[in-house]
Amino acid sequence: MEVIVFVKRVPSFEEEEVRIRQDGSTLDLSGIPFRMNDWDSYALEEAVRLVERFGGSVTAVTIGTDEDDEVLRRSIACGAKDGFLIREGAFVEPIRRAGLAKALIEKEGLRFDLILTGVQAEDDQFASFGGILAGLLKIPYAGMVVGIEEALGDSLTVRREIEGGMQERIRISLPCVLSIQTGINQPRYVSIMGIRRASRVERKVIEGGKILSAERSRLRLERFFYPEKKERAKMLEGDLLGVCQGILGILREKGVL
Amino acid sequence: MGAFLACIQCGRCTGACPESGITPLNIRLLMRMRQLGLPIGGSVPWLCTCCGTCTLRCPRDVRPGDELVRIRSGLVEQGDVPASVQKALEHTFVHRNPFGRSRSRRALWVEALPFRVPHVKDTEERRLLFSCCIHAYDERCMKIPTAFATVLAKAQVEFGILYEEETCCGNEVERLGELGLFEELMEELRKTIGKYGVREIICLSPHCMNAFKVHYGLPIPIYHYSQVLARLFDEGLLKAEKGLTAPCCYHDPCFLGKQNRVFEEPRRVLRMVSSELIEFSRSREISLCCEGGGGRMFYDPDFVYERRAEKRILEAETLKGGRIATACPFCLRMLGDAAIEKGIDVVDITEIVLEVL
Repeated sequence: MEVIVFVKRVPSFEEEEVRIRQDGSTLDLSGIPFRMNDWDSYALEEAVRLVERFGGSVTAVTIGTDEDDEVLRRSIACGAKDGFLIREGAFVEPIRRAGLAKALIEKEGLRFDLILTGVQAEDDQFASFGGILAGLLKIPYAGMVVGIEEALGDSLTVRREIEGGMQERIRISLPCVLSIQTGINQPRYVSIMGIRRASRVERKVIEGGKILSAERSRLRLERFFYPEKKERAKMLEGDLLGVCQGILGILREKGVL
Repeated sequence: MGAFLACIQCGRCTGACPESGITPLNIRLLMRMRQLGLPIGGSVPWLCTCCGTCTLRCPRDVRPGDELVRIRSGLVEQGDVPASVQKALEHTFVHRNPFGRSRSRRALWVEALPFRVPHVKDTEERRLLFSCCIHAYDERCMKIPTAFATVLAKAQVEFGILYEEETCCGNEVERLGELGLFEELMEELRKTIGKYGVREIICLSPHCMNAFKVHYGLPIPIYHYSQVLARLFDEGLLKAEKGLTAPCCYHDPCFLGKQNRVFEEPRRVLRMVSSELIEFSRSREISLCCEGGGGRMFYDPDFVYERRAEKRILEAETLKGGRIATACPFCLRMLGDAAIEKGIDVVDITEIVLEVL
């Protein structure tokens, strides 16, 4: 099974205080560490596991700047055969990202049975790349995949997460695009020695502008801003007993107790 | 040729191992499996606390503790690492501390001080006070650098810190077998230490001291803070002016005692500040490990057994020695957690010193 997996390097925001630059047009990311998008780590692991089960190979692709090569090296250390970096500017709207991906696949003649992406990227959270790519390639798509159970010749049985805590089992024909949900597997540990060794495997760099001409943006970033603060939180002050009585009072008032 | 081939299966290692008999870890068996080339996996290699007892007692210099790190290193390269350990290693790679906390909050402990702590580059003597990641981010342990900085200020000893440039020293990363990451951390810190012309390092954790002394090969003196406290008392720069505090039992941290032979200085300090120093039945070279070292802080087995810290606390109860004093943040947390139910105080020797100044 030939698998292409799309991975993205994102800022690690959980513990960091992200600042918006004064004019609102960019974020100040100085001093913020970067890592692979969490969803993509699961997609990558799933790709490697599929190839371990059914044979074939994994190709990792990322869209971004030279620094994003880090996620390609990590992918190769995890088990990918090779990697491609499509070099593009800072903000790339989802439809262009998918267009670039399609152009790369066609221009490089990449053979595939399956394309995996993460459900969404932690930074821009568009959650649309996989779906648009499937549309452009005119192949089927399934999102929120939490299990790949069976491969039967030209189709896969997969489990999807749906509302209400339910899952559904579907059969999807190959080739197809699946966006992978976290928790589908436990991504393996990738050692630093492994990442260093992966530096010796060639990663091709393709200029985005050369495979897909620049088009008029359909989506333009206007500004970043913090949501307006609302006075909904009530801080309870005083000694422990007073605070506890306060909480009990609120719970009674709201009918919880 | 692997040193494990010299193992004669005498069992001195297993006989004193804190994990043997209560967990499936049997270090003698692991050496035999190495000799026979048998695969080793599962939870067993991650149970070791790297206390160093086996290596200390081995009559053939097999250094079973180091062999265990090689076993772990093989598993790390295969990606076969328990999830919680994996998280700690990944956090260390991305954030330069195993807790995944922001580097910008590394030196929050200085905010509790009534005076300003300079960056080491702005000091005359280039004496670096180095705190462990757990001092930087754990609320309980954060009190130790604050207390020690106060003591240094009272003794008028100049010192500086690295603020956001301080990173994990990598001691536990190395013991967990992630040798590539350890090398990366070591190279970075060596550069930072060199860049600022640091002439002396005082470590607040025996684990950091071990990394600097054993692995970094720095051409400058490295001290554990208990050694500095002992010297300051010897030189008369510190005095127990408020009289002596209640008796206490001293718990030897493994990376300070067994592995770096610092047994006397913490005891000397405690004799100068407390009315009585009580010894555990297992102390010094045979001290019972708290089970926090060697990455065990990040790995909790999924079976129930009597934790060594609980055993320690039960013994402390029979000794009626009041509180337990120690000189390592990992011991402080492990023993501290186990002591809550018994109502026994576990404190750092710096905190006792601060009470009497």
